Amino acid sequence: MGKILCVAEKPSIAKAVANHLAGRAQPRDVRGIPWVKNYVFDYRFEGPWGMSNVVFTSVAGHIKTSDFTERYRKWNSCDPSMLFEAPIETFVENDKRAIAQNIENEARNSHVLFIWTDCDREGEHIGSEIRDIALKVNPRLEVRRARFSNIERAHVVDAARNPIPLDERQANAVAARIELDLRLGAAFTRMQTLALKPMIDSVQELQVISYGSCQFPTLGFVVDRYFRVTNFVPETFWSIKVVHKKDSINVNFNWKRGHLFDRMTVTVLFERCLTANIAKVIKMQKKPTSKWKPLPLTTVELQKNGSRFLRMDSQRVMKIAEELYTKGWISYPRTETDQFDKGMDLKKLVEKQQQDGHWGPFAQGLMNGGFKQPRNGRNNDKAHPPIHPVNYVAGNQLNDEERRVYEFVVRRFLACCSEDAKGEATDVEIDYGGEIFRTHGLMVLQRNYLDVYPYDKWESSQQLPQFAVGETFVPTEAKMMDGKTTAPGYLTEPELISLMDANGIGTDATMAEHIAKIKERSYVMTRPKSGGRGDVENYGQAVAARGRGGRGRGRGGRGGGNGTARSSGNDGVQEFIPTTLGVALIEGYDNVGFETSLSKPFLRKEVIGAEYLQGRLTCADNQQMELQMKAICAGTRTRHDVVQENLELYREVFVRTTQQINVLKAAIRKYLLEANG
Amino acid sequence: MATPATCPQAKDLSAHLTSKHLPPTPTFLTTILSTARPSTPLPALQRTALFRLLASDITSTVAYTPASMLPANIHDAGIKERRLAGPIPVQVLDIEDIGHSRWSQVEALEAAERGEMTKGREVIRVVADRENDAAPEESASSGPHKLLLQDAAGAKVYGVELMGVEGIGLGMNIGAKMVLREVVVARGVVLLEPRSVTVLGGKIEGLHKQWRDGRKERLKAAVGMAERRA
Repeated sequence: MGKILCVAEKPSIAKAVANHLAGRAQPRDVRGIPWVKNYVFDYRFEGPWGMSNVVFTSVAGHIKTSDFTERYRKWNSCDPSMLFEAPIETFVENDKRAIAQNIENEARNSHVLFIWTDCDREGEHIGSEIRDIALKVNPRLEVRRARFSNIERAHVVDAARNPIPLDERQANAVAARIELDLRLGAAFTRMQTLALKPMIDSVQELQVISYGSCQFPTLGFVVDRYFRVTNFVPETFWSIKVVHKKDSINVNFNWKRGHLFDRMTVTVLFERCLTANIAKVIKMQKKPTSKWKPLPLTTVELQKNGSRFLRMDSQRVMKIAEELYTKGWISYPRTETDQFDKGMDLKKLVEKQQQDGHWGPFAQGLMNGGFKQPRNGRNNDKAHPPIHPVNYVAGNQLNDEERRVYEFVVRRFLACCSEDAKGEATDVEIDYGGEIFRTHGLMVLQRNYLDVYPYDKWESSQQLPQFAVGETFVPTEAKMMDGKTTAPGYLTEPELISLMDANGIGTDATMAEHIAKIKERSYVMTRPKSGGRGDVENYGQAVAARGRGGRGRGRGGRGGGNGTARSSGNDGVQEFIPTTLGVALIEGYDNVGFETSLSKPFLRKEVIGAEYLQGRLTCADNQQMELQMKAICAGTRTRHDVVQENLELYREVFVRTTQQINVLKAAIRKYLLEANG
Repeated sequence: MATPATCPQAKDLSAHLTSKHLPPTPTFLTTILSTARPSTPLPALQRTALFRLLASDITSTVAYTPASMLPANIHDAGIKERRLAGPIPVQVLDIEDIGHSRWSQVEALEAAERGEMTKGREVIRVVADRENDAAPEESASSGPHKLLLQDAAGAKVYGVELMGVEGIGLGMNIGAKMVLREVVVARGVVLLEPRSVTVLGGKIEGLHKQWRDGRKERLKAAVGMAERRA
C-alpha cells in the first residue's frame, strides 16, 4: 500500500477534509507545534493510487519568508534606493521550522504529495512552497493538487477523486507580487520614514511611516473625499412645486428640471406657470415594473453588505465567512464569480434550508415550484462559484456574528433562486405654463424574493387618482421653494470598497487587509456614519485637534480605535476620516506629482500606468500591476519581465520623490507641525 | 473709381451678409475689400467675409436699425412679457450652466486640471493624444444655460434656455453669434427656444480665452457671494 501525503493550507481544513474522507480520522501530535495535527487513515483513491495509507496534515499559510540578505536588512545598512536591486533570499522562518520539518519527515517515505491548499493564487503559491520542501527530501514524489471550493463531503470526495497539476504560473504571479511588495514597500517606507519621522517625533509617536502600493491609493480615496467634504461650499437653489388635490388625494408634482441655481430664471418660469393657470395632462402611463432579485454573491458584495447590514467591517465579515467555510457551512468566500454554473444542483442546496424556522417556509415554496434559475452576472473567475450555503446549520449552533453572516448568505442565495418582485408603475406628466411636472406611483403586486431578503426595500407609494391625457385642471397649489446643497458625506466602507474594486486596487481577497492597514498605520480613523451635517463639520475640526494633541497614539491607535467609534457601539456603516498624517502624506505626494507633470513628459498610451505613477502615486497604479499578475497567470508575461518593468517605473518615482523631499516635508509641516503652533 | 464700400463687389458682399442677418458696417466692408486680392472670386470672398464677421465683435462690424436692436427698455422688469420680431443679431459674452451648482462645476474643472475624469466610480486619467493635444472638451453640459447677450449697438441682456437649443452649451465659444426672431422677453429676460434662435457660430478669440481662463475663479467668487447674501 502506497503512502500519500496530503497537505492543507490550515489545520481546520486538514481536520475537516480528513474526517470527510476517513469517516473519523485519528489526530496525531506534531512535534514542536501543538496546533498542527497529522491525521492518519487508509483511503481508497480512484485510478492508479488505489487503496493508500494517508497522512493528512497542514501548514499555516506561507511557510517561507522573503527578505533582503543580511547586509541590507538593517535600516541604516544602505541607501534605501539600493533595495531596488539588493539580493533577496527566501527561507523558512524560525516559527515555521517545525511545520517544514513535519512535511520533510512525512514526505520521505511517501509516493504522492497531494496538495489541498485553497484554490486561489495565494494557495497555489503556498502549494509550490510545500512542494519545494517535499521534493528536496524526496525527488521522486508525484505532486498533485485538489480542486475544491467548499468543505462539503460530496464535494471533497469528488476533489479527492480528480487531482490536477499544480499551476506554476499562478505561483509565479504571487512570487512576483511578493518581490515587488518587499522591494517597493521597504524602499519607500525606509526613505520616507528616515526623512519624515524625525520631524514628526515631537508631536506623534510612530514606529514607521509605511508605504504600500495598495495602501496609498486606498488612503488617497479617503483623503480626496475628506477634501471634498471640507472644501464644500453650500449654494442656494430654487424650484417649483405643484400640488393638486383630486379624489381627495393630494398629488405632489415635481418639476422636471429639478431645481435651478438662478433665482431670476425660476421666478420668470414660475410666473409663466401662474399666468397659464391651467395645467394639462400630457402623459398618463401605467406599466408593469419589477425590482430585480440580487445577483449571486461575490466577496466584494459580501464585504459591502457586511458593513451595511451586518454591522461588521469588511475584515470582520471575511474572517467570519472563512470560519463558516472551514466548518463546511458555506462555500469558499473569496470569489469574483457572480454566475452559477449551469450544471450545479441548486435545488439540492435550497432543499437543505427547508428545515429553518425563519426562511424554511420560503425555501419550501421554492421547492414546490417557485424555484427560478439565478440571474447571471458578468464575472467568472473560473475557480470558485458564487458564495452560497453548502449545508444547513441551525442558528443556535453558531455565535451571534456567525449567525448573521450565515443568515445573509442563505437569504441572498434563496433570493437568487426566487423571482423578481413585481409591481405596477404609474407616471403622470403635466404641462403647466410650458414647464413639465411629473409624479410617479408604485404599487407592489408580488413581493417574491423580497419576502426572504429584507436587505432590499421596495414599497408601494401613495395611490394616485385617475388622470387622463388631455385632461385639464387648475392646480390646487403652486409654489416656488428654495433649498441648499449639502456636503457629501465622508467616505464609507462600502463606498471605499466600491472605489477600490472599480479602480483595481487590491483583489477581492486583499481589499479588507489594505483598509485595515491604513487604519493600523494611523493614516485614517473610522467612526459610525453620522446623520447631520453639523456633526460632520464639528468632527472635521476634531480631526485637526487630534493631530494637534497627537499624543502617542502611534501605531497603538489601531483598528480606528478612536473613542467616538467605540462609544456608540460600533454599529452601522463606518465612515473614514484621514488623520493629519494621512492628509499630509497624500498632499505631499500629490504636490511632488504636480510639479512633475508641469514638465509634461510625453507618454504613450500603453503606459498609462506609468503616467499614473508619475502624476499621482496615490491613484490607480495598482490596476496595472493586477493586470500584469493576470498576464503571468495566463502565460503571456513572465515573472521576471513584470518585476523588472514595475521596478523601473517605481524607481523613477522614487528618484523624483527623494529629489523633491522638501515638498513632502512642507506638507508634513503644514498639517502636523504648524497646527501645533 | 467708386469707393470700396459702394462698388458692385461691396454690394454683393453686403447683400450676402445681410441675408445671414449680419449686415456689415461700411468700415468692415472697406477693410475686407482692401485686403482681398481683386481677382478673388465672389463665393470665396463671401466665405472670407462671413468668417471674419463671425470672428469679430459685432458692435463694430454689424450695422443696425431699430428693428435689429434690442429695445431701449429691454431691462424693464415691469413688462411681464413681450415678443420681439427681430431678426436681431447678438453675440454671446458669457455662458453659465444653471442646472448645476457652481461648486460642482468648480470640482469638475479641478478634476480636469488634474487630468482625471470620473467614469462611473472609476477615476480615469485623461491622456492627451498626439494629434489632439488640447485638453478634452468639457462634455456637453445639460443646462439649462443662462447667457449674456449683446446686440450690435452694444446693449446687453440675459437670455435663458427655455428649451435646449442646439449649439448652446458650455462647449460654445464666447463671441459666438446668434440671431433672435420672434423671441419672447419676460421681465427683461430673453427666453431662448429652438423656434426663435439660430446659432451661427463664430468666436471672439481674446474674449474667449479670457473667459475660459477666468471661469473657475468666477465660479468660486460667485459661490462666495451667494453665501454672503444668504
